[in-house]
Amino acid sequence: MSKRILIDPVTRIEGHAKISIFLDDAGNVSDAEFHVVEFRGFEKFCEGRPMSEMPSITPRICGICPVSHLLTSARAGDAILAVAIPPAADKLRRVMNLGQIIQSHALSFFHLSAPDFLLGWDTAVDKRNVFGIVAANPDLARAGIRLRQFGQEVIEILGGKKIHPAWAVPGGVRSPLTTEGREKIRAWLPEAFATTKVALDLFKKVLSTHEKETQIFGNFPSLFMGLVAPDGSWEHHGGKLRFTDSSGSIIADQLEAKNYAEFIGEAVQKNSYLKSPYYTPLGFPDGMYRVGPLARLNVCEQMGVPQADQELKHFKSFGRGAVTSSFLYHYARLIEILASIEFIERYMDDPDLLSNHLRADAGINSLRGVGVSEAPRGTLFHDYTVDENGLLKKVNLIIATGQNNLAMNRTVAQIARHYVRGNNIPEAMLNRVEHGIRCYDPCLSCSTHAAGQMPMQVELVSPDGSILQKITRD
Amino acid sequence: MNIMAKRDAAGEKAPALLVIGYGNELRSDDAVGPKTAEAVEGWQLPGIRSLACHQLTPELTVPISAAQCVVFVDATVDATDTVAMRPLAPAGPDQVMTHAADPRLLLRMAKDLFNRCPPAFLLTIPIENLALGEGLSTSAREGIQSALNLIRSLVPTPNFETQKVNS
Repeated sequence: MSKRILIDPVTRIEGHAKISIFLDDAGNVSDAEFHVVEFRGFEKFCEGRPMSEMPSITPRICGICPVSHLLTSARAGDAILAVAIPPAADKLRRVMNLGQIIQSHALSFFHLSAPDFLLGWDTAVDKRNVFGIVAANPDLARAGIRLRQFGQEVIEILGGKKIHPAWAVPGGVRSPLTTEGREKIRAWLPEAFATTKVALDLFKKVLSTHEKETQIFGNFPSLFMGLVAPDGSWEHHGGKLRFTDSSGSIIADQLEAKNYAEFIGEAVQKNSYLKSPYYTPLGFPDGMYRVGPLARLNVCEQMGVPQADQELKHFKSFGRGAVTSSFLYHYARLIEILASIEFIERYMDDPDLLSNHLRADAGINSLRGVGVSEAPRGTLFHDYTVDENGLLKKVNLIIATGQNNLAMNRTVAQIARHYVRGNNIPEAMLNRVEHGIRCYDPCLSCSTHAAGQMPMQVELVSPDGSILQKITRD
Repeated sequence: MNIMAKRDAAGEKAPALLVIGYGNELRSDDAVGPKTAEAVEGWQLPGIRSLACHQLTPELTVPISAAQCVVFVDATVDATDTVAMRPLAPAGPDQVMTHAADPRLLLRMAKDLFNRCPPAFLLTIPIENLALGEGLSTSAREGIQSALNLIRSLVPTPNFETQKVNS
């Protein structure tokens, strides 16, 4: 008689989710699933709208990832106009994306994940949270907020509004960087560098005392996918797609995003509204791949900026070919923050950013456009089909978090097998399972376009429906 | 580590009243929070700062800690059919932060991180419609007007001045 444990919802991630852990009669974990219960239907909602509105509509899917949707949507619009945007506009969009990476990764590291590995998995839940970090290390907590503020400032200086900047449009962007804005960004840089280095040093110490977590928190072979530049450098906005395997071998390279349907399939799983993309040449589920910081650092050969390149070398030493442990997502995030700051520093010396040559004007020249960009959580696709008037007939969004769905399932199962035993479920064990999900920093609001929270309840349920054990988190 | 020193020493102007309106503008009436904040911003009154947000996030603790008074504006589906404003206290230690924070969490963080938590209020506007879409129902628009009247009652007299926050 098998049993099922539910963790519903997972704390400290955006949106609704629950984790089911299935035990066999011996009390061992037989399987586990991470599944989502919310549904929103955003793609259908967009049908009939003018394509030109999408950069202002899609950012409102989520309050954490609006810039990612804004920029990817604009790129899909560029493709429908069939234009090459001015170089200044491309650089400005890149700077905004770098700001987005910084602020999103800062939130994930300092507030959502750090309470676990800095305060200890077995720390009581009323201490193992951001207030615990504030009490244990208030300077670090403040620095983390400030780092996120820096990313937000970059976005606001460019877009004029933090959450929904309607600044990137099909064909380019609406406004340049001002000299005043440039000086404001430059003034932030020393502090941003200092905070990131503190965080990197801190996490390397964490790694030295968390070898077990590195081994079993989502450590398994998989493919990895991300954008790369023509020379194989780290890319976040532009470039082409690359797949590598866990030996580090490139199995597909310089793929055009517009052809994504040739190599990415989407499976719908029972008990979840989250679609599960996979690499079609290997089929489902063998074609499981990961996206996001871990994947981007695995598929690239260098970051392209010196300090981050040093860290990348150290990062890659944790794998044989590819780094396969999902616990290292945290390290990868910090390296990407560092790279982003280095690139922003470089861009601030580029006079192009002050240019007024920012838009290419054109009509509807293609009835389909695919935009791709690296959101903080992973590769994001916007696929629009329009009529001759530019009204949307079909929208398909492949969200970063959804592409990690299969890997998150496998991560939950792996951790649960090590920690969950019998009918007694200590909360600290459950938190390790949840942390496996947090490694991916999922944004379920985008994946299923929903948001919300419920009190958490964990139930051990037998097949006949009787509840063997119940744990409640208020 | 004292990364904060330079910024604090520079000093920042503190608003007498900070209004933070939050909600999803693509979920019909859920937009009442940001729409209220945008309306307050349109008053262009000295000493009043207004922020329209999709959701509450940790960096808001910085302006919160600097303000003299904070009003959070949000939609509610759980209340009676009147706009209500009630005082807010900082959260207890067992509350968890996610990507979207609770206003009480932000007050607690402002207090713990910056040693300052101003008087705060939660102003809730009851709504009918959370479906995907733009546009407000009649009752939501009326709720915004009532909310603006309540916020207006908190606005200090024309002779008040903003303060500098020193480290």
